[in-house]
Amino acid sequence: MKARILVVDDDEALAEMIGIVLRNDGFDPVFCADGSQALDIFRSAKPDLVLLDLMLPGMDGIEVCRQIRGESDVPIVMLTAKSDTSDVVRGLESGADDYVPKPFKPAELVARVRARLRPGDQKAPETLRIADVTIDVAGHVVSRNSERISLTPLEFDLLVALARKPWQVFTRELLLEQVWGYRHAADTRLVNVHVQRLRSKIERDPEAPEVVLTVRGVGYKAGS
Amino acid sequence: MVSATKQVPEPADDSGLPGPEPRQSLLFRARIWSRRARIVTARVLRLVRTGATRLLPGIRYLLRAVHRRWRRSLQFRTVLTTLMLAVGSFAVVGAYLSNQIAHNLFQERLAQAESETRYNVKQVQDTFDGAQVTDQSSVITLVYDTLNAVEGRGSVIQRRYVFEAMPEQTKPRNRWVESRASDQLTISVIPPELRKAVQDSGKDQFWASTEFPVGTEDRPGIAVGNKVTFNGTVYELYLIYDLNTAQKTLDEIQNVLFAGAAALALMIGAVAWYVTRNVVSPVSHAAVVSEKLAAGQLQERMVVKGEDEVARLGASFNHMAASLQEQITQLATLSQMQQRFVSDVSHELRTPLTTVRMAAEVLYDARDDFDPINKRSAELLYNQVERFQSLLADLLEISRFDAGVAMLDAEPTDIVQLISHVIEGVAPVAAEYGSEVTLNAPAGSIVVEMDDRRIDRILRNLVLNALEHGEGRPVNISVAANDTAVAVAVRDHGIGMSAAEAARVFDRFWRADPARARTTGGSGLGLSIATEDTKLHNGWLQAWGEKGSGSNFRLTLPLRRGETITRSPLQLEPADVGPAGVLMERTTLLVNQPATDPRPASAAGAKEQP
Repeated sequence: MKARILVVDDDEALAEMIGIVLRNDGFDPVFCADGSQALDIFRSAKPDLVLLDLMLPGMDGIEVCRQIRGESDVPIVMLTAKSDTSDVVRGLESGADDYVPKPFKPAELVARVRARLRPGDQKAPETLRIADVTIDVAGHVVSRNSERISLTPLEFDLLVALARKPWQVFTRELLLEQVWGYRHAADTRLVNVHVQRLRSKIERDPEAPEVVLTVRGVGYKAGS
Repeated sequence: MVSATKQVPEPADDSGLPGPEPRQSLLFRARIWSRRARIVTARVLRLVRTGATRLLPGIRYLLRAVHRRWRRSLQFRTVLTTLMLAVGSFAVVGAYLSNQIAHNLFQERLAQAESETRYNVKQVQDTFDGAQVTDQSSVITLVYDTLNAVEGRGSVIQRRYVFEAMPEQTKPRNRWVESRASDQLTISVIPPELRKAVQDSGKDQFWASTEFPVGTEDRPGIAVGNKVTFNGTVYELYLIYDLNTAQKTLDEIQNVLFAGAAALALMIGAVAWYVTRNVVSPVSHAAVVSEKLAAGQLQERMVVKGEDEVARLGASFNHMAASLQEQITQLATLSQMQQRFVSDVSHELRTPLTTVRMAAEVLYDARDDFDPINKRSAELLYNQVERFQSLLADLLEISRFDAGVAMLDAEPTDIVQLISHVIEGVAPVAAEYGSEVTLNAPAGSIVVEMDDRRIDRILRNLVLNALEHGEGRPVNISVAANDTAVAVAVRDHGIGMSAAEAARVFDRFWRADPARARTTGGSGLGLSIATEDTKLHNGWLQAWGEKGSGSNFRLTLPLRRGETITRSPLQLEPADVGPAGVLMERTTLLVNQPATDPRPASAAGAKEQP
């Protein structure tokens, strides 16, 4: 089955061009040009991934992102013309998993989309532990004291990557490669923002993390 | 009052000054004062000595406090200066006044003494001349009675006398009286000069200052002398007048003067304090307000009262503050507008550019299906869109720096690892140029608080530049750190550049050789952006070059954010060209051969790559 992708962008030419590229690579694009209608179309189309422009008429892209994240774990990739730190970080904090700065290459866009649509590892049942957190990899369930913690697929992948090799310190670049699927060095703020979001969900005290530890000057590792 | 009395010339005084009397009194008073001063000085010294040992720390603190106050408070300084000047002028005026009064008192007393003496001497002489006594006892009685009468009637002695037969004269038989003096007095109280003057002259009267004993104390006085004759014997008769009352009056006057001066000085101090406070307080108010303004509280204004100079100062100060505020607000608005503009342009340009670029790429991917003309057109379109895009990106980056919206997103990162990544990234370009990129990192890892995205951009730019101008020769990267800073030097051995070119190399759109083919299609903004990125880190970016010997670019960054660099750990002029430098050993990191490097730390980045 073709993966359905919702493209939320007010620029018709760009949306059409993205459509051409996506169709060319075997995806099924759905379009929306207005931020205020994005949520309705999202509900009716049930896409597998959302490509979201940050600057939209009707409703801000960041607000749209927050609303979609409010009711779904569907991967969201932002299309952003702004490469200002604050905008990118704001977008990521509102729930986006990744972003592609304009102007982008078609191959780049497709690679990002594919990376987010990558099917989860359907392996033998595997249970991992970090500190007092239990991870059921096959069942996509994270819990503490049999209390379930809700994570987005990306946050789940990040946690699993750390938990599988608790002896290793992961640099941000390595995490970008393993979790986001980047081949080349990219923006390490992606990692910072998502680690913070992950901590806010799974740590008892995000100020004094026990599950995801920072190794100063290097990166992150799993707590013991 | 005509005075025939002459002052006895002092033995030391042969200059013949016109007014010797005040000198006499001054000398006299100086003697008293000096004795008093000696006693007071001794006491004060003793007090200071005992006090100094106990109170030294306190005194030192006090002195320092006063000194600080003196430096920092205009009011304190003015009041203190006024007080010191007032005390000084009072001292001068007081000294003059008391001197003048003393002189007048003395002159008055002297005139009185002279006339009284003249009268009394005459009386004595008359009595002696008209005496009809021949036997010893009546002569003695007459002389004593006559002399006692000189002391004056009443309980208070008006004058004292010393009566002495002149020496060196033939002694007649009936000379029964040799000398006689008032109570406690002898001839020794009369200064020898006075005696000599009286003895040597005829019937002239002479005077001199003296001291004589009364009870237990020595009193100042004037001795006036003349000669009287009795029974053929010449006697010296000296009358001594007490100056004690005059001295007391003078002391009292001095006390009054002193008290008055002290009171006046206090009042002047108070007045000076009040006046300076009135003048200084608006100034210090202005200082406080301008400090607040400088700290960014632009709405701060001075209080303006009245129409005087201070009010004018306040009004013009407020005017200045208002125009300053207006301009700053305007600049802030402009900066915000610029920021908005850059953001808008960024969005508005990038969206269509993205479409164009994607379309170009689709056409480029399908170029093999086109005829040669369309195929070449698709290639040109693709390449130029790419170039346009990088130019636009650089322009927007520069304008973000100009608008001052570029933010430093610093965190501790290993710079050696970052350099390894950069070397990996440029490997295809290095292979294209046939250059080898080597890394010399004696320290396996150096953690620097930096914005890795920006530092990566700077270093990538430097290495690409080195490759572009390196003529296929090796490019060496060196890293070293000291206590406060880390330096990265990128050295190529290519065409190099002159010192003048090295100075301009960071200018926008500047190219060493305009005719040179733009092989890598750079925007001409790369090094300008690198400079701005470095500035954001408080770092240094410097270039060295020599025609034919290649060039060296050195980036120096503080290890911790916000610190200042005092010295770069690496030399700008390379060791292999200039005098011996810090590049001691060269370790080679071959980019395409990650596993063979002897230094695991510097190759760590390479191992992680697939």
